[in-house]
Amino acid sequence: MDTDQTRRMFLGQAGASLGLLWLGSLTPDLLAQAHAYAQAAGQSATKTYRFFTPQQAADFDAFSAQILPTDETPGAREANVVHFTDYVLSTIDRDQQADMRDAFKSLQEQVAKTVPGATSFAAITPAQQIEVMKAIEAMQDAGAFGLLRGFTLTGFLCDPALGGNKDKVGWKLIGFQDDFYYKPPFGYYDAHYDEGKS
Amino acid sequence: MSGVTPPQRHYKLTDAVDFVIIGAGASGGVLARELSRNGFSVVVLEQGPWLTTKDFTHDEYMNWNHALLTNDYRKQPTTFRKTPKDKAKKRPALVYGRMVGGGPVHFTANYWRFHEIDFIEAGKKGTIAGTGFADWPITYADLEPYYTKAEWDLGVSGQAGVSPFDPPRSKPYPLPPMPIKSSGVLFEQGARKLGYHPFPAPVAILSQSYQGRMPCAHCGFCMGFGCEMGAKSSPLPTMIPQAIATGRCEIRPNSYVRKIELDTHGRATGAIYFDKSGKENLQRARAVIVAANGSETPRLLLLSKSNRFPDGLANSSGLVGKYLMFNTDSLAGGLFEHPLNEYKSIEVTRIMHDFYEIDPKHGFYGGGGIDARFLWYPIQFSFNGLPPRLPQWGSEYKKALQKYFTRSMYVVGHTTSLPLEDNSISLDDTVKDAWGLPAMRVTYKDHPDDLKTNQFMRDRSMEILEATGAQDKWAYPVQESTFGFHLLGTCRMGKDPKTSVVNSDHRTHDVPNLFLCDGSSFVTSGRGQPTETIQALAFRASDRITALAKQNQI
Repeated sequence: MDTDQTRRMFLGQAGASLGLLWLGSLTPDLLAQAHAYAQAAGQSATKTYRFFTPQQAADFDAFSAQILPTDETPGAREANVVHFTDYVLSTIDRDQQADMRDAFKSLQEQVAKTVPGATSFAAITPAQQIEVMKAIEAMQDAGAFGLLRGFTLTGFLCDPALGGNKDKVGWKLIGFQDDFYYKPPFGYYDAHYDEGKS
Repeated sequence: MSGVTPPQRHYKLTDAVDFVIIGAGASGGVLARELSRNGFSVVVLEQGPWLTTKDFTHDEYMNWNHALLTNDYRKQPTTFRKTPKDKAKKRPALVYGRMVGGGPVHFTANYWRFHEIDFIEAGKKGTIAGTGFADWPITYADLEPYYTKAEWDLGVSGQAGVSPFDPPRSKPYPLPPMPIKSSGVLFEQGARKLGYHPFPAPVAILSQSYQGRMPCAHCGFCMGFGCEMGAKSSPLPTMIPQAIATGRCEIRPNSYVRKIELDTHGRATGAIYFDKSGKENLQRARAVIVAANGSETPRLLLLSKSNRFPDGLANSSGLVGKYLMFNTDSLAGGLFEHPLNEYKSIEVTRIMHDFYEIDPKHGFYGGGGIDARFLWYPIQFSFNGLPPRLPQWGSEYKKALQKYFTRSMYVVGHTTSLPLEDNSISLDDTVKDAWGLPAMRVTYKDHPDDLKTNQFMRDRSMEILEATGAQDKWAYPVQESTFGFHLLGTCRMGKDPKTSVVNSDHRTHDVPNLFLCDGSSFVTSGRGQPTETIQALAFRASDRITALAKQNQI
């Protein structure tokens, strides 16, 4: 149902050229390799990127840190959102690359409009960044904002095997446990359930 | 369960088996087991892979965005338009299970029988102008033994006799209901305050060990995920191994059928399919059963054009692909003071059927069921789970995620869709899939009464949330459907070859040894949980087809 929205955000623009490339590409074995790569990339001390330019990485880092700021609790930076996004865009989400490049272009254009003479989103002040984000969020076609926000949220709350949600900081924040086995009661209301009285 | 494909009977392509079944899902799995147990030789061609429990993962991104268990739009693009006058645009338009076991591998496992009214509603209430609203050629009584068989052979948990709206049943559920969750408690309290009749949700998930299978571990990953415990009663841990065990059934995964072959007498001779390497094969058979779901079944018929059937196989009525019904879903959310921790255990533990038939005095046709649940996993919750009045990014948004992931629940209405001839599956003019076949084109626009029904259920859901004492509640907007996950009605069943595609034995009116059995056979949409009816139809079709074969009438 409303998950359609999520799907569309990531899949709606899937490119026609990929065609046969995807046949049989997502076997469990390949997935396991992808997870291993992501973990290695996430743990690497030297920040090298496979999709992002250094400038895009810096801009996305600043953008995602406004979506999920580091305050009294961890945010996008602690979750390794930039590395997650770089990883998926260079592997399983190559079909999103063009949209992501367009999103950075829209972001850069808005930076130039809002702060004439500024060189990049990462280089302007936090208040200016928020102004730029509100402007692209309010655009008729908010696809750029949606895509950048979408990858931020996904990198924050994804399975850590994909390289984001480092040390499960996202899951810990929202109170999600990833155990495979629970016993009732699960929550406050079922713990206080009295069938006869309800 | 071991990840190794179990040893099974292998047939040669040139062996004309008794039945080739296209699709190893909700209905195909049932047909495979029943027909092979009844002594017939069976080859099942399944376009998706043969995964096992060890292949399943809780990885939300891979399951939901990378189609581990479902059709992949990158290989199989779909196009969508609202009406036949519009130009269809390429985008995800529907989802279905694409693997051995089919949709029930990833379904939420809500397992509702249709009620008596679902089969005879048009006759009782009158037809509706501009729609194909009609009665089924079979009744609830015809299907009742097969509903019971589905529940007992697959393993369903529930409590019979507590809903005053339940249809008659010959046996209780084989397993007691699943433990109630906080959403179920709150819903039950709220609904009872309003005079409604909530009851334990029937689900195709094991509350206790059953037939050698483990019970549910309450891990919380049902909708969109395969069950690592094998506790979800899909065909994968049930019908499929039982069919293999007969020694007469071969399941052939990664086999994508592109055409059903006919001989000069107009009888089906087998199915042409691409194997995993892309090589084309023809599996010969004495009869063909298409159980490929309500979208792929009509698409395959439309692809199987011939001189005899220039508009698509078995399409003399012109109705193949028409009368597509999605069901609609209404959605309202509530936030609560204490943690519900709804991410644990199965999705739904309480439902109600008080509005199964909405009083016609409201001025529209419709009805449905309502349930309480948590609808999201962590990523989806961050996208869709919070009320729109809250900030959607920044520190306040983060605080809302932190507070409400464990403190929210949703009330969901599942409703009727009227059959409309324009709503359809057809072949796209330009877009092709990765095998070079015309892509599936979806045309869909809800009938105004469907949207009114949706609004009605939403309003009732908001009242129930109010009665639960939610701190905050909000309704998601009523929108026209643009995406389908219940695929129904596209090769409808009926007595008249001019107004239906299959008869009540699921035999096509046009080709004597071609049968269609899945959601495409539906005449009406029911109230939003079609799987049990799809499977009951498959059990019944198996008996009918067996009888016909034994009488030499196929």
